[in-house]
Amino acid sequence: MGQILQLTLEHLWLSTAGVLVAGLVGVPLGILLVRARALAGPVMSLVDVLQTIPSLAMLALVMFFLGLGNNSLIAALFVYALLPILRNTYTGLAGVSPDLLEAGKGMGMTGWQLLRQVQLPIALPIILAGFRVAMVTAIGIATIGTLIGAGGLGEPIWRGIQLANTLMIMTGAVPAALLAIITDVLLGGLEKALVPRGLRAKNI
Amino acid sequence: MKRKGLLLVVALLAAVSLIVAGCAGENTKSAGGKVVVGSKNFNENIILGEMLAQLIEAKTDLQVERKLNLGGTLVCFNALKNGDLDLYPDYTGTGLMAILKQPVETDPDKVYNYVQEQYNKKFKLKWMKPFGFNNTYAIAVPRETAEKYNLEKVSDLVPLAGNMVFGAEQEFFNRPDGYDGLVKTYGLKFKNTKSFETALKYQATAQGKIDVTDAFSTDGELITYDLKILEDDKKFFPPYFCTAVVRMDTLEKYPELEDILNLLAGQISDEEMQQLNYQVAEKERDAKEVVREFLESKGII
Repeated sequence: MGQILQLTLEHLWLSTAGVLVAGLVGVPLGILLVRARALAGPVMSLVDVLQTIPSLAMLALVMFFLGLGNNSLIAALFVYALLPILRNTYTGLAGVSPDLLEAGKGMGMTGWQLLRQVQLPIALPIILAGFRVAMVTAIGIATIGTLIGAGGLGEPIWRGIQLANTLMIMTGAVPAALLAIITDVLLGGLEKALVPRGLRAKNI
Repeated sequence: MKRKGLLLVVALLAAVSLIVAGCAGENTKSAGGKVVVGSKNFNENIILGEMLAQLIEAKTDLQVERKLNLGGTLVCFNALKNGDLDLYPDYTGTGLMAILKQPVETDPDKVYNYVQEQYNKKFKLKWMKPFGFNNTYAIAVPRETAEKYNLEKVSDLVPLAGNMVFGAEQEFFNRPDGYDGLVKTYGLKFKNTKSFETALKYQATAQGKIDVTDAFSTDGELITYDLKILEDDKKFFPPYFCTAVVRMDTLEKYPELEDILNLLAGQISDEEMQQLNYQVAEKERDAKEVVREFLESKGII
């Protein structure tokens, strides 16, 4: 059972790594696109297209360039985590009421201050929702990583399929599902905790 | 606002420390160096990969990283060429026809010498001494089918093929020593073909979803599913003697490695390999245990 725990933790860190890198790229990019809305359409479309590539194909393509192992898996997970994070950042920021922005400008706030003190706090729960979707997606896709020599819970699942051993399949599938559910709940809780007091009455 | 900021920072820190811990876990290096052992994605190759790994661990100071169960011959071969793997078990016939794309040759020594020479020159890879067994593709049908139609040789399938479905793993359909060459050499026209995950093709045969398949001659499933191998009367398949294929620069870096890998030379017969496969696939024993038992019984470790 210690092995399952180790694989679960490995699965978790691989998914988290992919999502975090997606966050490092997606959030700044989202902020930028809100400033340069003309670019938003084409950039979103590009990321959308990447999203539609079947994960197995993506993994094989990435393996071509980056070789076997965890790095390739993380790169592939990054691609799939990017869209929810980027889209939610953009939508969350763009959805801030223009009245609030006017009020802020009227008070003498600079663009930076508006971002930090008005836009981001309001958009935060939506951005976090993006991370939540990204994490759950990543945990699911990471199960295929085993085909290119990455670690994680895909290993017992795949081996179980080859040996026609249902129990072995479950020792990979069940922790993976639990991981996704727990992550979803935890991040959902974080999301609710971060809604600004003023917006709490509303149902987002 | 402060409380929320704190919450967010904590969550972020947790994520980052998870990643750092994961990376750190990955990069532990041992004083003596490290080799990466790979294997293809079928039972026998996984067992052999594990065997090579345990051999190196037992006999050297080297740390071994296992990348077993990779997606097929080409994934392994490309990984070996670009250094993601240091060695993996492969078969001389596969090297000859699937990698070097040469026509069939039936003399085992000629095949071995040819692939050795070409791999040394072209890819800077070296074949160790063969383990002993020949795991060839073998066309197999359920025993009842063989008895019903009196099938002994692959040629016997020609009049019946029009009513039969041929099933195999995807790789068999992609290789020159596979489906296309087979049907051309024998003049076979099957009703339909289906591709499966390697391990599932035997179940498919047993369930009647396919009528004939490409068995691996040392697979334990031949016993379990009571399949009969048909004689390759036109000698389409080359010999497939198995051994480790190793990067030459790895052998230079760790000179002790070659002699140790050659401890397995001639140690595994057809029957012994089939038995090992059977123990893991049918008896569902842990491959690591089966391998260790085998190596101990041979006095190798």
